[in-house]
Amino acid sequence: MRRLIGTPLRIGAVALAIALALVLLGGMLGRAPEAPQIAAEPAAVTPVDRLEQMIQRSQERLRRVPGDWHTWASLGMAYLERARITADPTYYPKAEEAVRRSLAVKPDGNTDALVAQGALANARHNFAAARRYALAAIKTNGYHADAYGVLTDAETQLGNAGAATAAVQRLLDLRPGLSAYARASYDLEQRGLTDQASDLMRRALVAAVDRHDIAFCRNQLGDLALSAGDLAAADAEYAAGLAAEPSSVALQRGRARVAAMSGRTEEALSAYAALTRRAPTPSYLIEYADLLRSAGREADAHSQLRLATAAHQLFTGNGGVDGLTGAALAEASGQPTRALREAQAEWARRKHADVADTLGWALHLSNRDTEALAYARRANTTGARSAIYAYHLGMIELALGDRATARHHLTAALQINPHFSPLDAPAARQALANLGSS
Amino acid sequence: MRATALSMTSPRGGALSRRRRAGLILAAGCVAAASLYGLGPGGATASSHREAPLVAADPAIDNTDLYAFVSPERRDYVTFIANWQPFSEPNGGPNFYPFATDARYNINVDSNGDARPDAIFRWTFKNIDNRGNSTFLYNNGPVTSIKDENLLFRQVYTLETSFNGKPFVTRITDAPVAPSRVGPASMPDYQKLRDEAVITFPGGWKGYAGQADDPFFLDLRVFDLLYGGDLSEVGQDTLAGYNVNTIALQVPFTDVALNEDPKRNPVIGVWSTTERRQVRMADGSSSGGWAQVSRLGQPLVNEVVIPSGLKDAFNSLSPDKDATIPAVVKRVTEPEVPKLIEAIYKLKAPATPRNDLVEIFLTGITTKANGPIKADLNSQLNNADVNPKKFQPSEMLRLNLMVPVADSPNRLGVLAQDLQGFPNGRRLTDDVVDIGLQALEGAALTGKLVDAIATGDKVDANDNAFTGEFPYLALPNGVGVNTLAKDSGAGAGAPAPSAPAEPSTKPTAMIGTSSDWVPVMSIGAAAAVGIGAIFFTIWWRRRNRIVPTAHPDSTAEM
Repeated sequence: MRRLIGTPLRIGAVALAIALALVLLGGMLGRAPEAPQIAAEPAAVTPVDRLEQMIQRSQERLRRVPGDWHTWASLGMAYLERARITADPTYYPKAEEAVRRSLAVKPDGNTDALVAQGALANARHNFAAARRYALAAIKTNGYHADAYGVLTDAETQLGNAGAATAAVQRLLDLRPGLSAYARASYDLEQRGLTDQASDLMRRALVAAVDRHDIAFCRNQLGDLALSAGDLAAADAEYAAGLAAEPSSVALQRGRARVAAMSGRTEEALSAYAALTRRAPTPSYLIEYADLLRSAGREADAHSQLRLATAAHQLFTGNGGVDGLTGAALAEASGQPTRALREAQAEWARRKHADVADTLGWALHLSNRDTEALAYARRANTTGARSAIYAYHLGMIELALGDRATARHHLTAALQINPHFSPLDAPAARQALANLGSS
Repeated sequence: MRATALSMTSPRGGALSRRRRAGLILAAGCVAAASLYGLGPGGATASSHREAPLVAADPAIDNTDLYAFVSPERRDYVTFIANWQPFSEPNGGPNFYPFATDARYNINVDSNGDARPDAIFRWTFKNIDNRGNSTFLYNNGPVTSIKDENLLFRQVYTLETSFNGKPFVTRITDAPVAPSRVGPASMPDYQKLRDEAVITFPGGWKGYAGQADDPFFLDLRVFDLLYGGDLSEVGQDTLAGYNVNTIALQVPFTDVALNEDPKRNPVIGVWSTTERRQVRMADGSSSGGWAQVSRLGQPLVNEVVIPSGLKDAFNSLSPDKDATIPAVVKRVTEPEVPKLIEAIYKLKAPATPRNDLVEIFLTGITTKANGPIKADLNSQLNNADVNPKKFQPSEMLRLNLMVPVADSPNRLGVLAQDLQGFPNGRRLTDDVVDIGLQALEGAALTGKLVDAIATGDKVDANDNAFTGEFPYLALPNGVGVNTLAKDSGAGAGAPAPSAPAEPSTKPTAMIGTSSDWVPVMSIGAAAAVGIGAIFFTIWWRRRNRIVPTAHPDSTAEM
């Protein structure tokens, strides 16, 4: 967080003062040390932090040769990787600045910078812009694998499933490797081909060298197991990932979720407390709040939601767009009208299954179940094996009085993952029980 | 982190009524909320979608250099050396650097000139991993032999070969890979491990796979000038102290020459490739096909000739497609580097089209392709049994096996009339940076070295001496590069050259006719280095997107 100082802050003086306070806070909280360990005998080997090496080498080089636009662009990409790994948003403006420096030196035909701009747009959920950047990059170099990675992510999130699959196929053909396998795995997962998705993620793991990449693959394998309700397999993946990268916030979240789903609520709560101190992202904070609420700690849940709301407002106030989080926050805050508005706005921007699911549910919360049904069905017809999609569909059908299909979909939700949510899974069981008794 | 907030744990349905009661009030001055305002422009991560690594490190398939030369101590055998995994730092983490187990490493040989492989040597690797699940130990005690049980993680390889399009035949399985050198306490006698990893095959072949000192030598910093950098510190081997993963193979001429007759057909073309299995997105299955993820023939050339916008395309092409891509051919006939040099340093670029470069890069040096160089050296067209109608210009490293081994190799190779050197194959001691630069400025055409750029990058030899026996490479460095830099202090001088003595070889007049090297133009040494800088720009990109920290050279004995 200390790196924050020196980057242009376009926020008010008050906010800056608070920022400094946060820097101090961050200093007190401390991040896990990431310096390489010193060799010892016997030789204990920690998977290398290639990303950190890359950042350091780039910084060193750019201090010496500030006109090297290639390295500016790759530094920008490295910052985005850091942002992803740490969930630390202060890397976004750093990435933006690095890309700006690259473009300042070479404004035209700068494929690397276009790709980095696209990756940044994806990170900020501006998927339409990301798509444009990726296509512009591909126009200058049709064999640039990273450009297809950016395009894949953008098309996926925009809901252009066919275009996303075509882009990831091109990525696979150009450069089979972790980046391609991971994206291919997600594509397959969204089509319900979960075994193949796991196979490809294992292949990605084989190709992983950097410890953060190992952590990523383990986390996804854990999430795949978790979404199928296999808590033990998920926990084993998260543990293996943490052995490679103990400071991974994603893996810590994974273990917290396993604890929550296993009913070890206190352990889960303390894990979330630690996690959200390190990575106060809206999504983690909402999860934490949900867990607090499920434990009957409403007031604590509200505190976390306040943080989540602030984080989200900051994001949107700076041009970020994320209707999913906005809808989730509104819903969690008891504002169904706002939740619907957020979901509708997001649907206007993109047609991903997650958005269809969210919009369907938001309509349901506004008692517009007939409209809701179409969106919930749409989410469920993508082929993805999602307990939450099935649950939402079942509840909407129930509200519409279609008891047979409601029973079918609520049963399916619990079959996919009996632990899918600490609150929704019991709600599904209750609804099924009510259905059965009447 | 896909749809984290909504899909997994957020309470809905039954929770709704509670939700509606919740009524969150956001207190603007609330300390907890306000603390997030420190996050700056761009704000908080709102990662409610899946984000996967985009620039994942994949050095194991990163092919850096290829060498092919007649074995000096075994003169009817040719040696191939191919390197991957650049910038492997000893004790760098600490770490070790395995070959990829999901890739195929190939050395391809074209003897009939159709730009398709007539011999393919293919290595695949397996892990032998006794570390268990919970440890990241590489070894748990001194490793004194290649199969020492203290070495908890090791690799073995399989070598398969295919000749003339016939099915692959397995030549050896479970051959040991020399380990990454992780320090003197763990590996007190690395030479022994190296020796044990040198395998003699049936038929007299020799093979080695494992770590070695990076044999390439150059000063990457020369190209800083392009970006306004400081030139005062050139002359250091930027790769000194780093290791690579090497595959080396020595086979008789008869196994690679056309019709097994190296006297009638002395010329071979060589390139290395790395492949990974393809995946079909329709169902997520492996298609059975393999994608070529890197390709390497001549050093630098691929990058100097091919501009960065075409580099990715070139890596995915097979050589038989080279001449079908007009942009590739145009880059050879209208090279960029001499134009840049002329623009900046007023050293006049040779007239285009540069058909001399076509010979060097795409056909081999021959009088049979109507090229301007009046010599026959290393084109398959000079093989007696080649059908010229099937000859296909392509980029590869071409070697005439029958050029005698030079007793005193000249680092400038063919351009200094040492015909056994680059671009006739490539020896470990060939200074391909300086040679390539000279060639681009027309030295092969005129037969005269361009004096103005004679100093090149001022790095004329590798930091660690090569050996006289297969696999010739220096042992891997055992001291961390950064550690070394600290220990030896800043500003250590140029490397102690271990290069062989400079020329005494009598020209055989195949290239050029003049041995009086006339300075074409006199420009300052700094400018000359700057020219070298331009030359490297694109090459450097491939090798590693990041230049390592500058450091004094390693001259320490290991």
